[in-house]
Amino acid sequence: MDTLENLRAVAQDPYGYARNIQATESKPILGYFCSYTPEEIITAAGAIPFRLFGTREDISRADAHLQSYCCSLVRGGLEDALTGRLNFLKGAVFPHTCDSIQRLSDIWRLNAGMALHFDAVLPVKLTTESARNYMIAVLNDFRSELEQGLGVTISDEALYKANHTCNRIRELLGHIYAFRSQNPSQLKGSDIYYIMKAAMVMDREVLVEQLAHLWADLREKGGEAPPTDRKRVLLSGGICTLPDIYTLIEDAGGEVVWDDLCTGTRYFEGEVRETGDPVEAIAERYLSRMVCPAKHKGMSVRGEHLSRLVREQQIGGVIFLFLKFCEPHGFDYPYLKACMDRAGVPTLLLEVEEQLPAEGQLRTRFETFIDMLE
Amino acid sequence: MITAGIDVGSITAKAAVLDAANIVGTKIISTGYDAKKAGRSVLDQLLETLDMAAQDIQALVATGYGRNTVDFADKTITEITCHGAGAHFLNPDIRFIIDVGGQDSKVIRINEAGKVMDFAMNDKCAAGTGRFLEVMARALEADLDQFGDIFLKAENPAKISSVCTVFAESEVISLIAKGESRENIIAGIHESVAARISALAKRVGVAEPVMMTGGVAKNIGAVKALEDKLETSIRVSEFAQVNGAIGAALLAERLNR
Repeated sequence: MDTLENLRAVAQDPYGYARNIQATESKPILGYFCSYTPEEIITAAGAIPFRLFGTREDISRADAHLQSYCCSLVRGGLEDALTGRLNFLKGAVFPHTCDSIQRLSDIWRLNAGMALHFDAVLPVKLTTESARNYMIAVLNDFRSELEQGLGVTISDEALYKANHTCNRIRELLGHIYAFRSQNPSQLKGSDIYYIMKAAMVMDREVLVEQLAHLWADLREKGGEAPPTDRKRVLLSGGICTLPDIYTLIEDAGGEVVWDDLCTGTRYFEGEVRETGDPVEAIAERYLSRMVCPAKHKGMSVRGEHLSRLVREQQIGGVIFLFLKFCEPHGFDYPYLKACMDRAGVPTLLLEVEEQLPAEGQLRTRFETFIDMLE
Repeated sequence: MITAGIDVGSITAKAAVLDAANIVGTKIISTGYDAKKAGRSVLDQLLETLDMAAQDIQALVATGYGRNTVDFADKTITEITCHGAGAHFLNPDIRFIIDVGGQDSKVIRINEAGKVMDFAMNDKCAAGTGRFLEVMARALEADLDQFGDIFLKAENPAKISSVCTVFAESEVISLIAKGESRENIIAGIHESVAARISALAKRVGVAEPVMMTGGVAKNIGAVKALEDKLETSIRVSEFAQVNGAIGAALLAERLNR
C-alpha cells in the first residue's frame, strides 16, 4: 500500500486504527477535541493523542445530557463515548476553549467512564505577560498530572524529542499544503483532508516517517502539473469533517487550495523552540500561533491573518465553514465578512452538521459562488 | 437569436422563450413527481402555443433545483445567477432580489451589470418559503390565491413566534381555537415569513431598489409585510414567477455555441 493510501485508510476508519493499536501495543491512547491540546507532552509521556471528530452515527444518548443547540462535534463525541465506541481510550484531555467543550468536560468526567480525565485550563487573552506565566504553569501542571495518571516520568529529554517530532510533522504538513496550493491537480483536496485527519490520530512516531515518505513521493512527481482553470478557494472556520465538501467544490469549478481551519493550517502553524525549557517552548508556540475565535490576541488579528492568506495564496473566494451552533465562530463571522467585503473578496457562509445539508442546495450555493468569482 | 430558459422548481416548472432580448412567451406548469418530464413538457407546451418547433431554439439554459434533469439543455446555471440576470433585464436599476419559491428563499445582491455580488439561502427548513404559506393555508382552510387580500383586511396581526413550520402550524391551530380572527392569523403568518426573509436579507446587506421574484411575489400580503420589515418599497414584475426562466434564456444568448 502506498503512503497516501495508508493515511487515507486510517482517516476513513480511525476507530479501527485505534483498536488495532490497543490490541497490539501497550501505548495508551488519549482522546482530545481541539488543537490547543499539548500533543508534545502526551507524546513525551509515551501516549498517543487521538483527535475526536464527532460521530457518523445517529445521536440519541448524548441528547440526554446536551441541548440540541450544542454543536455536532460535542454531541457526537459524547455519543460515541456513551455508546462505548471509544472504549479504546484510556482517557481524554480538555483544553479550555469554548463553553461547550468546557461543559462537555464535566459531563464526560461524570458519564464517559474513562480511567483518566484531564483539564488544561488555558488562558483566553494571550497578549499579556501574566498569560504567558499562567500558560506555562498550566502546561507544567498537565505534565505532572499526566505523569501521575499514566504512572510514568516525563523527562526533559523525552519532551525535547517529542517537540522535535511534532515540529517535523508540522513542517511536513506545511510542505504538503504548499505543494497542493502550487500543484492542485497533483493532490486532491479530499486527500489533504485525509492526510490531516490521519495526522491527528496516528502514533506520531510512525506518522512522522510516513509523512516524510509522502513528501518525498510528492516532490518526485511535482513540478509537471499543468495549471487548472479552477477558481482558488480558501476554507475558514473550525473543524472540517466532510471530505465531500472538497469534491462538491471541485464539481462546481473551484478548488480548496488553503484553509484557516482548526483541523488545517492552525493545527500545524508555528514551531516549538528546541532549546531552553521544553514546556516554556510549547507555551510560546501557543502564544504566537494564530488564535481560534475562542482565544484573544488583539481586535483585528484574525481578519488581518485571513487577508494575508488570501493575498499569499491568490485566493478568489473564501468559504466560511462552521459547525452549526458554533458560537465563537458565529460571533467572529460578521467582522471577518466585513473585512473580506472591504478587500473585495467574495465570501460564502456554510453552516453544517455531521451530515451535509441537502446536496441539491449545496451544489446550488457552490455553483453560484464559483460563478461569482473573477 | 431565439433562446429558451427552463426553470424546474420544486412546485412549478417555468419556461421562457426570448428573441433578441424580447420576451416571446412564458409558461408555468406544476412540477409534480417527475421533474425531468416537467422540464420537457413545459417547453413543449410553450412552443406549441407560440407555434414554434424545438429546432427554432438556438440555445437553451436550464435552471432551478431540477436543472440537472433537463438533459437537452446546452448548459445549467443556478437559479441565483439566473434571477440576477432576469431581474436586471426587467429593470436595470435593481440591486437586490428576494426570490421566494416553494422550497427555499434566497436573497441576492447584484451589481449594475446584473452580476451576483453576494447571496444567502435559507437552510433545509420550510420557514420563510412558499411551502410554509401552503401549509398554513391548509390549516386555515383558506385559498392561497386570496391569502394576500385577506392580509390587507387584518386589523391586529396575531403573533406567530415559532420559526419551525410544524410548530407554527400548531400555534395557528391554537389561535383558531382561541377565536382569533382569520384575517389576523393570516397577517401574523405573513409577518412571520417576512421576519425570516428580512433576517436573511440583512445578513447579505440590502441595496436599493429591491425586487421580489418567485411564486410568493404574487402574494401581495407577503410583499407588503416584507416592505414593512425592510422599510423599503419592493418592485414586483408581472414576470416575477418566470423571472428565473427569463434569466436562463438571457444567459443562453451569451453561450458560445
